[in-house]
Amino acid sequence: MENLTTRGRATRLGATALGLVLLLIGTFWGSDDDFPFGPFRMYSTSNPPNAPAPDTRVEGVNSTGAVIDLDQDATGIRRAEIEGQQQRYAADPALLAEVADAYAERHPDAAALVEVRIVIRWHGIRAGRPTGRHTDETVVRWQASR
Amino acid sequence: MIRWLTEAVPRGRVAAFRTLIYLFVAADLVVFTPWVRTRASVPGELYHPLLVGRVLPLPTPTPTLVAVIFWALLLLALLAATGRAPRLLGWAVCGLYLEWMIIAMSYGKVDHDRFGLLVALAVLPTAGRARHGDTTRTEAGGWALRVTQIAVICTYFLAAWAKLRFGGLDWLTGSVLARAIIRRGTDLADLIAQVPYLLIVAQFGIVAFELLSPVVFLLPARWRLAMVGFFYSFHVVTVATITISFAPHLAAMTSFLPLERVRPLVWARRLIGRGPSEAATTDAPEPRPADVDPVPADQDPVADGAERTLDDQAPVVGRPAGP
Repeated sequence: MENLTTRGRATRLGATALGLVLLLIGTFWGSDDDFPFGPFRMYSTSNPPNAPAPDTRVEGVNSTGAVIDLDQDATGIRRAEIEGQQQRYAADPALLAEVADAYAERHPDAAALVEVRIVIRWHGIRAGRPTGRHTDETVVRWQASR
Repeated sequence: MIRWLTEAVPRGRVAAFRTLIYLFVAADLVVFTPWVRTRASVPGELYHPLLVGRVLPLPTPTPTLVAVIFWALLLLALLAATGRAPRLLGWAVCGLYLEWMIIAMSYGKVDHDRFGLLVALAVLPTAGRARHGDTTRTEAGGWALRVTQIAVICTYFLAAWAKLRFGGLDWLTGSVLARAIIRRGTDLADLIAQVPYLLIVAQFGIVAFELLSPVVFLLPARWRLAMVGFFYSFHVVTVATITISFAPHLAAMTSFLPLERVRPLVWARRLIGRGPSEAATTDAPEPRPADVDPVPADQDPVADGAERTLDDQAPVVGRPAGP
């Protein structure tokens, strides 16, 4: 049996208490910014039973006119990150040029993108169940100046 | 309380947990969250450091920085998995993984599935040396496992609190699961979504299970393992329906299990020893006492309860079972 010293025990008790206090403060008053002590807010927002659900995607148009799906594989940027910074993109659509750059970085041989847009597909929901109907809304659009 | 917090466990369990956690870190880099590496090609303009990244003078990720951290972390995690230099390697992996996560979470989305893993990485260096199969009990190791368990349960319990804080009671009767299924549901989830009110019932069920999760600490050993089994089954369902794995959390949750019974190397050695020649019985080196076969699972947990005053950690292997 390997026992702790009194000091070792006290230090561990203190560290445990400090960690718990930080976590509780983060949970009650913190935000994601306080990682790793922020609130565990995965799927914590409440949506009314009949409110349509947004399904966000980023797509681009290249110089040949083809529409390209700019998902995580295409750009290295996760969808939730686009949604997390959507206000920034809306305030400054030119930021979407960064998405085009990220795509070009990963596809050096592909035709250049002349347009990048954030599109939300709104899926209908009734009584907490999907209805199967949807409409698309373009919320931010950036076009390359030529 | 302090005795419960530092309740001793066999060193073999600490060794097994250590190996598992550091192997998971290596696997996380290449299998579970490989997208962190794509930060190398995402423009620095999109980097919005978290509070901890602003307080500490951490650099904006560049392709070189991301590559250096990736390879250093992979190498050190694999070395740490051997159990050698547990403090030096442990602290190095802890620091590098934290920086890796700050890079991962600083582009507009923070994941909530790895608090338990981060706690495990922060406490494992304090657990001291531990050899696989060693039945000597250690309080330092017991504390490391206990606080990891607490972190895992906090993830559930405080998630229920966050739902009340951000969603309110309406969360229970809202359409959050329908939303999740629309955004990332599998075919199975689409089938489930058609059953009237099932998703609403599931929302009540999720909050009930999260609020009740601390009960795991009050249960007798055998029921505790059953409840941990239930936690795992919950995650099987979330993977099968909305493809969210919570893998780091699942790795940290093994802190509840009597991991010292899992001895893949011993089993492999025995298999090889027996395989080609019958001479194995005479030629094979005498197994050390530490390597003896674990007691069958169903025989152990309650049998020696009488002589054990503190039996809150998972049952121990290698002790005499009963009278």
